Amino acid sequence: MQKITFMNPLVSVGFALMLGTSMLAAPAAADTIKMAWSQDATGLDPHKQTAFSSIRFLELMYEPLVRLDTEAEIVPAVASAWSFNDAATELTITINPNAKFHNGAAVTAADVKASYERILNEETSAASRANFTSITSIETPDDGTVIFKLSEPNVPILTAMASINSAILPASAIKAGTVGTEVVGSGPFVFGSWNPNSSSSLKANPDWAGGNVAIDGLEINVLPDETAILAALRTKQIDFALINDPFVATLIPDVKGVQLIKKPVLSYHVLQLNPSRGALQKLGVRQAISCAVDRQDILDTALLGEGSVTGPLTMDAYKSDVSELFCYERDVEKAKSLLAKAGYPDGFSAKIMAASGEPPTAAAEAQVLQSQLAEVGIKLEIEIKELNVYIDAWLAADFDMAVALNGGRPDPFTMYNRYWTKAGNLQKVSNYIDDTLDSLMIQGREETDPAKRKVIFAKFDKHLAEMSPWVWLYTGFTYAAVQDSVQGFEATPTGSLFGLSAVTVSK
Amino acid sequence: MPTQHLTHASGLNRNDPFAERCCATLFGLALVAAFTLAAVLAEFGLTPYDPLGQDRIARLQAPSVAHLFGTDLFGRDVLSRLMLGISQSFTVSFLAVGAASLVGTVLGLASAWFGGFWDGAIMRLMDVLLAFPAILLALLIIAIVGPSGLTSILAIAIVYTPIFTRVVRGPALSLKQREFVDAARTFGSSRRYIMTQHLALNLVAPLTVQITLALAWALVTEAGLSFLGLGTQPPYASLGLMLADARNLMELAPWLLWIPAIGLMFAVLGFNLLGDALRDILDPKTRRALA
Amino acid sequence: MSYPIRRLLVFPLVMFGVSVFVFVAIRLVPGDAITAMLGTESGLLTPVQREALTVYFGLDQSWAVQFWRWLTGVMQGDLGISTTFGKPVLSVILQHFPLTLELAVLSMLVALAIGLPAGIYAATRQDSFADLAIRVVAMIGQSTPGFVVGLLLIFVLSVGFGILPQMGTFVPFSEDPLRNLGQMILPALTLGTAFAAAVIRISRSAMLDILREDYVRTARSKGMPRGRVVWRHALPNALIPVVTLSGVEFGYLLGGAVLIEQIFALPGLGRVVLDAILQRDYALVQGSVLFIAFNFMVVNLLVDLAYAALDPRIRFESK
Repeated sequence: MQKITFMNPLVSVGFALMLGTSMLAAPAAADTIKMAWSQDATGLDPHKQTAFSSIRFLELMYEPLVRLDTEAEIVPAVASAWSFNDAATELTITINPNAKFHNGAAVTAADVKASYERILNEETSAASRANFTSITSIETPDDGTVIFKLSEPNVPILTAMASINSAILPASAIKAGTVGTEVVGSGPFVFGSWNPNSSSSLKANPDWAGGNVAIDGLEINVLPDETAILAALRTKQIDFALINDPFVATLIPDVKGVQLIKKPVLSYHVLQLNPSRGALQKLGVRQAISCAVDRQDILDTALLGEGSVTGPLTMDAYKSDVSELFCYERDVEKAKSLLAKAGYPDGFSAKIMAASGEPPTAAAEAQVLQSQLAEVGIKLEIEIKELNVYIDAWLAADFDMAVALNGGRPDPFTMYNRYWTKAGNLQKVSNYIDDTLDSLMIQGREETDPAKRKVIFAKFDKHLAEMSPWVWLYTGFTYAAVQDSVQGFEATPTGSLFGLSAVTVSK
Repeated sequence: MPTQHLTHASGLNRNDPFAERCCATLFGLALVAAFTLAAVLAEFGLTPYDPLGQDRIARLQAPSVAHLFGTDLFGRDVLSRLMLGISQSFTVSFLAVGAASLVGTVLGLASAWFGGFWDGAIMRLMDVLLAFPAILLALLIIAIVGPSGLTSILAIAIVYTPIFTRVVRGPALSLKQREFVDAARTFGSSRRYIMTQHLALNLVAPLTVQITLALAWALVTEAGLSFLGLGTQPPYASLGLMLADARNLMELAPWLLWIPAIGLMFAVLGFNLLGDALRDILDPKTRRALA
Repeated sequence: MSYPIRRLLVFPLVMFGVSVFVFVAIRLVPGDAITAMLGTESGLLTPVQREALTVYFGLDQSWAVQFWRWLTGVMQGDLGISTTFGKPVLSVILQHFPLTLELAVLSMLVALAIGLPAGIYAATRQDSFADLAIRVVAMIGQSTPGFVVGLLLIFVLSVGFGILPQMGTFVPFSEDPLRNLGQMILPALTLGTAFAAAVIRISRSAMLDILREDYVRTARSKGMPRGRVVWRHALPNALIPVVTLSGVEFGYLLGGAVLIEQIFALPGLGRVVLDAILQRDYALVQGSVLFIAFNFMVVNLLVDLAYAALDPRIRFESK
């Protein structure tokens, strides 16, 4: 035996690859939809979870009193009807008599009362509590009726109630302290399992009062890398995916058999200025920045044009025509003269902070802004911070400028009262308020006539853009990628996945 | 990266025919020289275009005569950014390895020389650091200090210090016991003189080899940290950051992935080849003790 | 005192050092579990609400008290409760460790299956074209960082060939071995190839050394066939450095391959620690780092012992 032969290493790699690929793409179970997203929920308590990734997950299992449909109109959920008294200080809710929790118990007025008391209890640490502080008492004349008494006229409270952060929980679970470890909701899907940052499974709820769920359930995978989601769609490993990254989304239409469903969202990309800092205290300087920024150019670069330029109000019912807002057409000369008048003819230096990867476009936005503002002499130093560090700095208003993607609400008051009213909880972050803004907000809260509200908030929008405490940039899209076999999904401006309760599967 | 420490620690190549070794060495030298040249040019601003200059109309252009390696999302010239990235990655690696070898040498010598309690204390401390996976240790350090090029230097230096400490302590310990040290001592030389003249001189060879190889690992670690968004920060460039930015663009603009990937590979290859060669030249008999 | 016993005595000392280090380090990281959970909405909390959360996360105690509680817990096998998982840390670790272990084993197998034959073949054909080619490939393989290999693999396979490993819900080997292997094959190849390069280099040079030893030459000159010389005499000795190298590498792999797990979406220990750091899940970071360090040290101890057992020439005392 003279010659020793060994397996050629390349051959063994080849074997391994064949082995790998032959095991790919197992067909999905009958009517269970396999879906993927890149960010997982961070917890199961609907009153405490504010991360969007948690909300869209919990929304499949829990229900608030009312919810928003695909056009952001308020529609029934646990409540079947609701009405304000004339002064808008009393809200009466009628509970859907068919509403049942997953444990079989009917949803009663006592559950609603217990849920809202839990939110209002400071020990719970529910961030949405701030929206409900005007509730003075909750009355339950019978099992099917709840009356909220309010200390002041408050129409927008109803939109705040449409959030999963005000979900209705069984009074028994609240008493037992099992909220957050067990999921007993009244929504279209029943909790199966949850492995954080990995996977979860839900089953359809046959007793759901909201309608019939046509699929058997959902199997959700967390794929942190969206290019991996794209690949999984190509190989038909998943039926449904949420896409965050506009770059990945632009590639979906090229994938055979996959449809891209997109919808403009309420959340907005914004350059937050800190009007308590240095040069930014001057209105002229802030306006100069607003004029020096080319919003469409940033949108084209950071989001490959996937979105639209917006003013402060992003909801269809209230948004302004951007051409009427202050300096929405880039004007470098005007910016320079505004700077000179404000006493900064040669510009100034400032720091701009962005959170690492949140949103994925933040770093790109900061870099384009840096380049655009350099043209008027404003020298920016970019600081990319880890998300938690960014949030701490943001809450402490410890920044000159910040790139942010802030959440939107269907109602202008609930969306902005935290920032642009004198009593706003986040006044310390926005650091800017004037009498005009404050009084317009209060008028908007008290007005019940929709047409009059529109006029009020149009003034608000225009004034806010002109005062430029922040420079509003644009809104993006929410994307869902859906295999052709899955039909009937409708996206909403809040990025909700609630539409999954209505889909059908054909194989 | 763990794999690399180990092979280099014991992968001896004494058997190479001279001509071929020479060839590989030359190639390694050429690579390191070329990359260093690119880094120096970038340092002096001698890149084809301004690596930070945006020309957003010309975004995502494939390689062409005007832009040899194409342009990125902001219309910046990728070749210029690659040069800047190499310069950034090299700066971080050189400073980190410089600091690690300096601190590691001092600790290793102190450990060997003083022995006893100090030896135990220093070496246990190194054990603690070594028991952490390198990337996690770096992650923690960066999470504490905040990401930046400077933090990467600190993190990488801390990660690699224990290796240098061990490399130095072993030979230092055996040298200490050798006769010439004793002899020098009896002839009345000062402790310090012995330390510097004899011990240090005999450590130059293994240290040089270790430093060259550590540069290769440092490049990889820097790239990994920047890839996770924890190293070099935009708008500046480093090889890892370029890779990270290319990730979701790899279908639209594959050159953004290939170019930094190949660049990183050749840079590491250069130092690896050079390290192998240095070991053969400087220290043909070293069998690194399995510390 | 013999070397292994000395190592064993040092063991708890180093573990204690690791505990202190990780305990302090994670608390020095700015931001806390409350911001991690609520994000910017935490700005809406009233002082009472914040206080309640501080108590819930156990952040109201001093570091010394927290450390003492944790340490006494660890002594009793209680690593604390993970705030993100809402489960005991130990059960979170044990749930994710099998994947990491499997990945480590598979990549070792890949590395050895490619590296050993190639290295030995190259040594027996020294200076041939095959030898040169293998060494060039090894050098390049060794110079390409794992995450770059992973990225390029995904790119080439998914864009070029439209195929991809199962990235969906991770299936344990015990449940569905085929699907499990389908999920693990690419990451294992990625980790394995870089390490294979190392195995090639070390096995080749060890083999060359031994083929040049007197006893091997003697055997050859006495007419023993080359194949037999290689198999019977040279190979066992050449394996010693490979075993050492593999052992230490295995120790590293048990700590989880953070970047590779991230790229291939594998819920292994590396990602658990990374996510735990990002979400400021103190107990989970502490517990898992301690677990990783423990494994690393045990494996290293075993490697040293194996080395001593395999190679009688080694005298630990001489070092």
